[in-house]
Amino acid sequence: MRTKSAVCMFIAAAIAGAMLSSCGAPENTVHSVDDLKGKTIGVQIGTTGDTLAGDIEDGKVEKYNKYSDAVQALKQGKVDAVIIDKDTADVFVGKNSDVQLLDEGFADESYAIAINLDNAELQTQINGALAELDKEGTLKAIKDSYDGEEKGERYKSPENADRSKGTLVMATNAEFPPYESREGDEFVGIDVDMMNAVCDKLGYQLKIDDMAFDSVIPAVQSHKADVGVAGLSVTEDRKKNVLFSDEYTVTHLVVMVRKDK
Amino acid sequence: MGFSESFKQNFIEADRWKYLADGLLTTLEITVFAVLIGMALGFLVAIVRCTYKKTGKLRPLDIICRIYLTVIRGTPVVVQLLIIYFVIFASVPISKTLVAVIAFGINSGAYVAEIVRGGIMAVDNGQLEAGRSLGLSYRRTMLYIVLPQALRTVLPALANECIVLLKETSVAGYIAIADLTKGGDIIRSQTFSPFLPLISVAVIYLVIVMFLTYLVSRLERRLAVNGRR
Repeated sequence: MRTKSAVCMFIAAAIAGAMLSSCGAPENTVHSVDDLKGKTIGVQIGTTGDTLAGDIEDGKVEKYNKYSDAVQALKQGKVDAVIIDKDTADVFVGKNSDVQLLDEGFADESYAIAINLDNAELQTQINGALAELDKEGTLKAIKDSYDGEEKGERYKSPENADRSKGTLVMATNAEFPPYESREGDEFVGIDVDMMNAVCDKLGYQLKIDDMAFDSVIPAVQSHKADVGVAGLSVTEDRKKNVLFSDEYTVTHLVVMVRKDK
Repeated sequence: MGFSESFKQNFIEADRWKYLADGLLTTLEITVFAVLIGMALGFLVAIVRCTYKKTGKLRPLDIICRIYLTVIRGTPVVVQLLIIYFVIFASVPISKTLVAVIAFGINSGAYVAEIVRGGIMAVDNGQLEAGRSLGLSYRRTMLYIVLPQALRTVLPALANECIVLLKETSVAGYIAIADLTKGGDIIRSQTFSPFLPLISVAVIYLVIVMFLTYLVSRLERRLAVNGRR
């Protein structure tokens, strides 16, 4: 019996030691975009932040599978800064009191829907639907329902919506709030609601396929998904591999750092 | 896109082959050091457990070893890796490769321990009794009589454990280590062509494993020649 309690004490001590070691991240050393030179920068693999971070002088880029892991590493002092999309950064800052964003933006970019290169017809249809939704004000209402000052009601499909054309598979990476994330069993976010609205216009049933971010474009390329909607920024490299719809969000990349003490 | 064009895009442009070369080095580095830790840990645990079984000594250590085996063999290595990186070394500035070496070493140790324990238990108890009745201490009997015989039985299984470990390190990418698998993923994320990066990563692993398997089979042949049983 005595040995058992000794073992328990040993384990408890080990856990307590581990907990203790988790406080006290190093001081923030990045106060402007220029400060990024020679620093360790966390990114999510395959994002535009990943590409651009590679151009920073003497910068060391750590490619995480998820933004949440990169932010975790930032909080623990494993990286000095994270390059991340503005709207998603705001969500992370809202949930983590120990990180902040630099006032200076890092790079401008805009999101669009990715479609297989041989499916120009779907591209035309989606562009038509997006234009209609924009004119009606639905797009703005959807955006406001997630990150506006007053969060309005979320988009709901009309009950008698046409579903005659079958399913439209959307590849996404549901770890990117407010554009796409999970709430219980459901997928929510601006991209999700926007695609539901597009499908309601075009007569499709939306089916969401959640995967790693760097698999989204390959999924569209290999016809595993009809569209890739994952806060995908339009870049020249990507344009060689997929068609893009009209841009639906203009945003920019920001630099996330630890809060100054 | 033709094969040569695709080859050029995936490996030559922007020196992308370097992701694979550097990744391979990292993978080998992690594997070699993790194997060393795993062997040391595994032998230690196996000896503790056998000593308890045969003599009834070291009971507290045996309990700790049993907990270690249960926890490590009962949880996936990815989860262990993430726990060691994000929980245990939360704010400690430590190289990620070292984290991976520790995680895979601790993981492999549990499997090595069971292999070695099986080997020791397979040596006839008469050997131990003979050694003791000749006046050798338990430690000396273990070291000079039992372990050498056990080692011969378990060597092939241990070598196989190294092969398994090499492949398991492919999850190191979870903590942003650019190992061989992640190297392929990085190329894929830049060129968006899945075929060549994935196939070449697979071929590289395969070639290393085939080489190791060849070494194991030679080892087995040598051991068979020397065996008198």
